[in-house]
Amino acid sequence: MGQFLKNIVLFTMLCLFGYVPVICLWGEIASQDLKTNVSFNIGGVGHLFTRLQEVKTTENVDVLVLGTSLAYRGFDPRVFESHQLRLFNLGSSAQTPLQTEILLHRYLDRLHPRIVIFEVNPFYLSNDGVESSLDFFANDKNDFASIRSAFIINNVKTYNALIYGVYKDITAFKLGFKEPTNKKDDTYISHGFVEKALSYNRNQSSGAISWTFERYQLAAFHNSLRMLKEKGISYVLVQAPISKARYANIINKEVFDTKMTNLGTYYNFNELMQLNDGLHFYDSHHLNQNGVAAFNNYLIKTLFLDYRIK
Amino acid sequence: MLFNSIDFAIFLPLVFVLYWFVCKKHLRLQNVLIVMASYVFYGWWDWRFLSLILFSTLVDYSVGLYLHKTTTEGRRKALLWTSIGVNIGLLGFFKYYNFFVDNFVTAFSFFGASIQPNTLNIILPVGISFYTFQTLSYTIDVYRNKLEPTRDMVAFAAFVSFFPQLVAGPIERATNLLPQFYKRRRFHYSKAVDGLRQILWGLFKKVVIADNCAQFADLIFDNYTAYSGSTLLLGAVFFAFQIYGDFSGYSDIAIGTARLFGFDLKQNFAFPYFSRDIAEFWRRWHISLSTWFRDYVYIPLGGSRVSKALKVRNVLIIFLVSGFWHGANWTFIVWGLLNALYFLPLLLTNSNRSHTNVVAEHRILPSLMEFGAMGLTFMMSVLAWVFFRAETITEAFGYLIGLFNISLLKIPEIRPTYLLVLLMFFLTIEWLGRSRAYAIEVLGLQKPRFLRWGFYFLIIFLMGLFMKTNETPFIYFQF
Repeated sequence: MGQFLKNIVLFTMLCLFGYVPVICLWGEIASQDLKTNVSFNIGGVGHLFTRLQEVKTTENVDVLVLGTSLAYRGFDPRVFESHQLRLFNLGSSAQTPLQTEILLHRYLDRLHPRIVIFEVNPFYLSNDGVESSLDFFANDKNDFASIRSAFIINNVKTYNALIYGVYKDITAFKLGFKEPTNKKDDTYISHGFVEKALSYNRNQSSGAISWTFERYQLAAFHNSLRMLKEKGISYVLVQAPISKARYANIINKEVFDTKMTNLGTYYNFNELMQLNDGLHFYDSHHLNQNGVAAFNNYLIKTLFLDYRIK
Repeated sequence: MLFNSIDFAIFLPLVFVLYWFVCKKHLRLQNVLIVMASYVFYGWWDWRFLSLILFSTLVDYSVGLYLHKTTTEGRRKALLWTSIGVNIGLLGFFKYYNFFVDNFVTAFSFFGASIQPNTLNIILPVGISFYTFQTLSYTIDVYRNKLEPTRDMVAFAAFVSFFPQLVAGPIERATNLLPQFYKRRRFHYSKAVDGLRQILWGLFKKVVIADNCAQFADLIFDNYTAYSGSTLLLGAVFFAFQIYGDFSGYSDIAIGTARLFGFDLKQNFAFPYFSRDIAEFWRRWHISLSTWFRDYVYIPLGGSRVSKALKVRNVLIIFLVSGFWHGANWTFIVWGLLNALYFLPLLLTNSNRSHTNVVAEHRILPSLMEFGAMGLTFMMSVLAWVFFRAETITEAFGYLIGLFNISLLKIPEIRPTYLLVLLMFFLTIEWLGRSRAYAIEVLGLQKPRFLRWGFYFLIIFLMGLFMKTNETPFIYFQF
């Protein structure tokens, strides 16, 4: 038995130490279709790399926005600027509370916002966080918080991406990377916004969309809210508008609304605003630039009235 | 609890340590631990299912004891039928109730009668088909005086609920497994390492081969009208490897886990895709179920020592029942029927036992003839799998019609190169190890450590690179 246990421990140690360099090597030499579980999408969809470079040189904003693609495609700093409000948008693709918490730890003190807007929706709190973790490991620095989040998510893709991301940190690969401002129809706008070339939603509604709260995402979300309370920073929870057809298909909306109302001041703009599925969206859940302008002006009016943040 | 889950990765070492360190010197305590661990393992899905397994255990334990005491043939028969009634009754209710009600209603509506169906919202308890058959084998063997009934309730409960093979087999016979609970188990280094090696190979089959094949098989089967015949063929081949990797992978993990605790379970798969005809295939596929049906249904019906007409009847019964065992759907019945039709010509020409040895024994490569026979048998099984995978008979026929047309000669629209490379690697390893109990068993024999450990590391690395990222349940759990 002693020999058995000794060999198990020895083999496990060798595996752990052997796995790391082999993953790095595989990430370097293998073709893309053989790297399904070794993701390193630096400068991928959503301009996260550019956004995170910019946030490192930005200080003292009025409004900080966090959330999914509905955030970085839905809160335009230029509209807020026209109301003398300085906004930074730290949204990212499929962001979940785990990544939000990390972002707040890393950048909250620097940005020192007067108010934080959490763009929330059922998928923000039900997503496993894998997709977003891959995005962050490739586009931001990796530290203890990254390791902690990888263990919470506990997914082989996340572990591999972390290993490869750390390797890229060590080899200073990210320092030399320059992300183009324009990619296909997307243009990066200073302070974190991504503008899509104007187009219109042609999507038909699909079937029922179900979701359930992910326990560790709820816990991370509570941590973020607690952090803001401790620092005396106000926050609001905002459900950004999506097309009526998609919204109608989401089940248990009331459960989500009740939960959010219990967590703080909550606005569900799907109920507050009347937007047109064809004219104000470019797909079933993202606003086009017409929709962004309408939504942001309405939001600012609501925040001004309710919060007097100016 | 799934074998490919974090829960099991914590559960297994915990039980292992308790078993070999805390309970090492007490056989009864080890058995109690196995029962408790098995109930935790099973209750992880739904604790309410435990009542069924407990009930089945109590019934068969009592029937076994009474069978031993009773000498009157009538009473013995009554006891046997009580056990069969209870076990098949449970299985029938949970698995087949709605199927029979639906078909009853359809049949009556065909004759113009309108009946309001009274279907129930029944949850199918995981693995019910497996443990009911296992307990039934005990009662039948006691009835046939092949086995002394046990008076050790704990050993019997452990036999019924033994967690490595509880939910998807191998379906163990009491004659093989139950006596192992009576004997003191000693830790053997080589046996434990062999167990771990088999677990590793089983995991590879499941999380790399089966789950990756499933991704493309699902994509193709779910949209079969959109693809060419060649893609549909590829989809069916992927499903063939999915179900093999999934089920034989489970069996490998089960057998390997049992070895860690000092138990020997029966081999359940013997490289069926290297079979040279369908008869050989069925001697190599899901062996524990095939032999169960052979011993408890086919032979009592007269087996093959009867007239040709009765032989045909017996084969049809055995394959139809086997198909129906897999699920309450006509697709499974047609799958069984198709296999019977493949098998019957071999039986009627007395060539069903032409291939009882390992293909290309003591040679590296098969002859052209052997290669052709294996290819043909594989393709026959692939076509039968279409019925197994399809949701309805109509869908299965639609799939086959889409497959057999001129577009079969087109280049497939879906060509996952990495998966084809993985399958080649997998088949090569399986081929090289085909004369063993499992493909990489040979590694345990006199190979230098760096080679063994290097190969294990390669398998782990491939799992890290290609495993699907969510815990997918095993297909056979639904049966």
